[in-house]
Order: sequence, then structure tokens, then C-alpha cells
Amino acid sequence: MAKKNNFPDIVFIGQPNSGKSTLFNAIAGYKAETSNFAGTTVEHAHSKVSFKGNLLNIIDLPGTYSLNPSDEVEKVALRHLFVEKPDLVVNVIDASILGRSLEMTLELIELGYPLVVALNMVDLAEKKGIEVDIEKLESLLGVPVIPTIATRGRGIKELLDAVLTVLHENKRPKPINWSKDVEDNIVELEKLIPADFPIVANKRFTAVKMIETERLVFNKMLMEINPSLKKSLDEVRGELEARHNTPAYEVIAAERHHLAFKIFEESCQVTRRKKIGWQKRADDIIMHPLLGYVILLGVFLAFFVVIFKVGNPLEELLLGPLNGLKEYLAVHLGNGLLFHLSEGLIQGIGGGAAIVLPYFVPLLFMMSLLEDIGYLARASFLMDTFMHRIGLHGNSVSPFILGFGCNVPAVISTRILGSRRDRIITTLLIPFVPCSARTTIILALIAFYLGPFWALGFYVFNIFLLGVLGRILSFFFKEPSPGLILEIPSLKLPSLKNMARKTFIHLKAFIKFAWPILIAGSVVLAIMQYFQLDKYVNIALSPLVEKALGLPQELGVTLVFGFLRKELSLVMMLQALGVDYHYLMNAITYQQMVIFVVFISFFIPCLSTVAIIWKEIGRKIALLSVALNTAVAVVISLVIRLILKL
Amino acid sequence: MINLTQAPYDKQLRIVEIQGGHGVRRRLLSLGFHKNHIIELDSRSILKGPILVRDLSSDTSVALGRGIAQKIMVEIIGEKE
Repeated sequence: MAKKNNFPDIVFIGQPNSGKSTLFNAIAGYKAETSNFAGTTVEHAHSKVSFKGNLLNIIDLPGTYSLNPSDEVEKVALRHLFVEKPDLVVNVIDASILGRSLEMTLELIELGYPLVVALNMVDLAEKKGIEVDIEKLESLLGVPVIPTIATRGRGIKELLDAVLTVLHENKRPKPINWSKDVEDNIVELEKLIPADFPIVANKRFTAVKMIETERLVFNKMLMEINPSLKKSLDEVRGELEARHNTPAYEVIAAERHHLAFKIFEESCQVTRRKKIGWQKRADDIIMHPLLGYVILLGVFLAFFVVIFKVGNPLEELLLGPLNGLKEYLAVHLGNGLLFHLSEGLIQGIGGGAAIVLPYFVPLLFMMSLLEDIGYLARASFLMDTFMHRIGLHGNSVSPFILGFGCNVPAVISTRILGSRRDRIITTLLIPFVPCSARTTIILALIAFYLGPFWALGFYVFNIFLLGVLGRILSFFFKEPSPGLILEIPSLKLPSLKNMARKTFIHLKAFIKFAWPILIAGSVVLAIMQYFQLDKYVNIALSPLVEKALGLPQELGVTLVFGFLRKELSLVMMLQALGVDYHYLMNAITYQQMVIFVVFISFFIPCLSTVAIIWKEIGRKIALLSVALNTAVAVVISLVIRLILKL
Repeated sequence: MINLTQAPYDKQLRIVEIQGGHGVRRRLLSLGFHKNHIIELDSRSILKGPILVRDLSSDTSVALGRGIAQKIMVEIIGEKE
């Protein structure tokens, strides 16, 4: 069983909401790393785990509903499964919806890799009145079934024991036979597959997948490499279709479905099939056509209040010693290059620690709370109507919500969107969502000097702008959106431990990716200032800054800082104007301040955002995003300047 | 036979046919929506929003946009329990 790196690869696979990642996190803990699948931007988490003296390489694949990929993420996940050939597969299934979940288990049995089933959420199933006879289920499936409760860490030891046993015996599951006629067709096709054919896992699995795949590309390719096999495949498909009067892939899906439910019925005792009382009642309120929206509004207000209540004092607490350190350095290092370098370094490190993290950490925590209890899916359901008016649908809601924290993870999360068109429109709109950095500027300038209602007004205007832009964009990207198909998982009680783990894992990604850019950018700019290169920047930008926007020329360089990190432009604004925060209004007028905030908020997304759009969607869209944002920022600033008669 | 957008909220329904392209049908199949399953509509949304469908046979709830809901043909089989 040992290969490439001497310890076995264990792949975790399961349907979305099955608790797969929770189980993975409970096993892999804080050591888990995330990396991309070769040549793609799809991430997976993996971790080396030591259990009873055995090192295991555990890989968490993105959730998939079946082994027939229907979106980009599923495709990549399955390619990994088919090509990399793990030593063992752990199939995590939700015991409370066992019948449906078993369909993918059956597919995995057909795949024939050593398999262990983790029957997760057995507590939830019991509450629902489903009692699973584990031994019976094991004998029907022919693979070990281990009951687990991932949120509480139950069954993990037993699961790993089973993994070791199966690995040791290298036991492969035997496919379960289907109805005679379908079975005959599959065996027939299986025999026709030549030895040199690119086989996935085994001939039987390959035969089944060939029948199921309706894709033109595959058929065309098969036609080229093996026309006679293509002919046999068409015959088999034709026979199946004629006999059942449905497309061949549906015949297979129905077979699997019936088999799964037969196994479910034989191995489970169902006393009642009702939603649990409190869940039903809660859902009736949360998704109520009127109350639901009131609650949604309340949840988001609370969401931001909590983030600022936690973030604000933390920020001030951390800014104090940071400024102290800067003053200390100014005294001890003089005004030389060394001082500027270390100031840039502190600005970069400290800006991340003191300005971004205080808001980012509570935000991540609140996000994982909303996700874990199942509220995000419900919010998407409620928002679908409104998203339709701007040419998108409910699935785009959660990237937008993420965008309020930081646009970078928001762009990454657009992967969940089924179509490329939806991804592009959502990605182009995300930079218009005020992230925590821009919110900091809005609060520090507009709310502080003009009052909180002005800040609120700014947000309302911002959301209105988002809607208008969405409409305009969907006018250019006309192809119809496939529409919303979104599973609404049952409401669950959150687990603090799991939320903390999730927060930590996301945080690690930020620290690794965004922070280094911030630090490097600050250092480069510090060097620029030392050699007084910022003057040239100010002069170069003066047609825009001075002529068009009516702002002091010195603010030109802050735009460059703003491109690196939006929140830096606030700090640099004070430095460029040479005033202290409390005396800002001596240097510029209120109108100038409003225009500055508007322009900084909407112009070019920050460097990290542009980089992630480039990486995720492509160069063209990244450049389009830069152009769109800059154009909108200039137009709106000019309009405001006209209104304020500056 | 009616489509899901025309179906009443207080009745149990049976899926008679799922129309539409392969992509949509496959997605619905993998979410546990099969022909002959018994389903109920759970929540009425305002302003022509999505429809919340609960599949009693596979016990899953799915939100469906109206375009997709129109492709699911059902018949009324009785009152909700």
C-alpha cells in the first residue's frame, strides 16, 4: 500500500453539509494545510496524522453530490479521486438523510477503492426517529460503517481503527448487483472495453460511467480513439433507453436510487419521519415571507455591531503600542534610510495586526457561525428575489456577505457559483462592497466628522450603486443564468470548537497570502518616500487629484497606498497633509473629505483583490474590474463635486 | 398535471416528471429528487421568489428558482399531514 511518500493517502469524500469537513478538522486539527489541486485554483485541505504509530496523509475533497460532476469544483475533486488513486476512501454521510446519501456510497463501492463509511450525525438521525442497524448496514454494503458525531469528536478513534484495518487487509468493496437487465448491459459493455483503454479505477466502473456520461466531448473523443467501442456503447444505451423509456443516465440513476432506498429500508427503523419540532418552528419563522426579512435585517445589523464592538477597542488597544514603537524608532534611528525602512516594516506588520485582524477575526468567526447553523443558505433563499433584479440569484449572496469583511475571500468563494457568467458578474461587483478596511475609513472620517447618519447614508448609497451596476453588467452578459438550485440543510446548533477551528484555518490563509504583500508594499513605499519619489507621483497624479477631484495635490500618493491596502490611505492621508487626526479639518474641507472617501472607496480594488481576481477568473476580468472601478469612482466623485458645488 | 409554481401549499404532491436539460435534471437527481417522490411546498416567498420544496421520500429541503420549479411537473395526491 505504500507509495510515493511512504504513507497512505486517505481521501475524505461526502456530500455538501454531511459534516465531512468538520470531521476532517476534528481529526487533522490545527495542522491542516490548504493547497490547490495541480493546475487549478480549487483548494483542498490535507494533513498528516499520526495514529497508533501509523502516519496517514488525510485529504479533504470539496463536497460533491455524486461522482457525476456537475460543476467546476466537483470536476476537479473527482479528477483527483480518479487520477491520484488514494489508498483508501472515507465516505462521510449524513445519517439523518441516509437514503439519499447512500447513492453516492454505492458509486464509491463501484469505484472499488478500499472504503470506510463514516455514518455522521447519528445523534441527529436518532432525534428524527431514524435508528440505524449498523451491522446490517455493514453487511448490505460490504464495507465497515462507523457511527460518528463530528461536532463532538465522537467515533474518531473507531473510524481511524477501521481505516487501519481496511488498509492493512487492502480490502476492496464488491459491487452490488443491479436489476438483471441493467446488470446484463453493463457486463456486456465491460467485456468490450479493450485492455489498452484508459480505464478509471476498474472496467465495470468505467463501463457504468461511459453509459452515464452524455457529454459530447467524451463521445467525440471515443469516436476518434475507438469507433467500434463507441458503436457498442450507443447500442447498450439505446437498449436501456428503449426498455425504460428514459435517457440512459437516468436509468442508472434510478437503479442506484432504488438500491440505496432498499438498503436504507432494510437497515433502518424509522419511527417517525417528521422534522424535529424546534427546527420546523424556527424554519417557519426564519423563512417566513415577511418576518424572514425582518430577521435577516436584524441578523446583519447584529453581525456588524458585533464586529465593530469587538474590533474597535481591539484596534485602539493595538495601535497604541505600535505608534509608541514608531516614536521610539524616530528618536533612536534619526531620519535616515534605516528609520524609513523599519517604519515601513512596522506599518506593514502592524497594519495587518492592528487594523485588519481586529475586524477580520470576529468577522470570520461570525461567518462560520452563520454557516454552521445553516443560516447562510436561508439568507440566500430570502435574497434570491432581489438578486434576480440585478441579474443574479441567491447563490451570489454569500460571496457578497463575505465581501463586507474582505473582498479577497469573497472572490474565492464565487467558485460555488455554477456558471461562469454568474461568477464574472459577482466578481466584478464584489469590489464595490465596502470591505472592513474601507468601513474603517468611512467610520473614521465620515462618521467621526459628519455623524453616523452620513455613514449610514453612504452604505445605503453603496448598496443602491451595487444594484445599478448589477443591472448594467447583466445587460452585457446576457446568457440566461441556470437558476437557483440550493439545498437548505437542516438547522443545527453551532459548535464553538468547530467555529474556532474554521476561523483559525481561514486566518492562516490570510496571514500566508495577504500579509506578506502588505509588508512588502509598505517597505517599497517607505523607500520611495526616503528618496522623495512620492513627489513625482503627486505631480503625475495631479490632473486627477487636483483638477478633476479638487483635492490637495499631496493626496496623490495616498491613492498609491490605497491601491496596496485601502486602510493605508487613511494613515497616509494624515501623513501627506502633515496633520494630526483631530486637526484634519484645518487642512481640508468637509466636501473634500467626502470626495476623498468616495473616491478611495470605489477606485481600483486593492492589490490583493486584483491579484485574486487575476488568479481566479483571469487577466481580462481583473483588468476590466480595475477599469470599471476607476471609471465609476471618477464619475461619482465628479457628480458629488457638482452637487456639493466645490 | 401542473408545474411546481402552480402547486398549492397545503397539499402533498407527487413528482410526475422532471423536464429541462441534462444539467438541471442531473443536479436534481443527485439532490435526491426522483420521479414518484412525494413532496411538499414549505414556504411561500414574496415577489416571485424561489420556492422551498421538501422531498418527503429523501427528506431534503431544496430552494428552487422559479425557472427550475416550472420544469418540475407534479400531481396532487392528498392533504398535508
